[in-house]
Amino acid sequence: MFGAFRPTGALGGGLLWKIPWRLSPHQKYRQRQRLRAVDKVVETVANALAKKGETLKSLDRWQAEMPTEAEMLPKDKYTIFDRKEKKYRKGIHKLPKWTRVSQRVNPPGY
Amino acid sequence: MSYFRITLHRSAIGLPKRTKGVLAALGLHKRSQVVYHPVEAQFAGMIMKVKELVRVDEVDRKLSKYEVYSERKPDPGFWVEKTVARMEDGRPKERGSPSVIVEGLRKEDGGEVRL
Repeated sequence: MFGAFRPTGALGGGLLWKIPWRLSPHQKYRQRQRLRAVDKVVETVANALAKKGETLKSLDRWQAEMPTEAEMLPKDKYTIFDRKEKKYRKGIHKLPKWTRVSQRVNPPGY
Repeated sequence: MSYFRITLHRSAIGLPKRTKGVLAALGLHKRSQVVYHPVEAQFAGMIMKVKELVRVDEVDRKLSKYEVYSERKPDPGFWVEKTVARMEDGRPKERGSPSVIVEGLRKEDGGEVRL
């Protein structure tokens, strides 16, 4: 029943990955910190360029299109659109390299 | 002239070649490495490409390695007082600001001043 040889799905042989379907509260907390860190970098760059009176296309697009961490809905912070999923959503931790890529907006209406 | 102080916080292992290329162009090769680049649209664009991996500050000059290190250094809780030459041509040296130490001085027979 217990111990190293207990008959669980993972030990019973075969490929069985155990990735939970949702994020834990601590993963969600770290995700928010990462979103804020990116917001801070963008803000610093924007302020520095504004002082010099320069503009940057990629910066303007980011500010126009991307919500900040505070503006985002929890749904968009922790889940991502997927057309193959029930209710069209899956955890953002299913996204490859999800801690180092920006994934903030999803299709409207989903 | 102000600079971007860029610290590589997250590694680019497993990320696209182009992302690694941007980091190499910024001069970042290992985590916690700090580089300085002038505030220009050119460098701002490169930062925007790797904004998830770096931490950025705006500074007015390039800090030396020691200055960056001493920012992280905790307060030791003590300080070492060093002996200073208090005599100049047989007279007490003029100090910029009279401190507690100067008040504690008194003249000895041999012309020496001791605490």
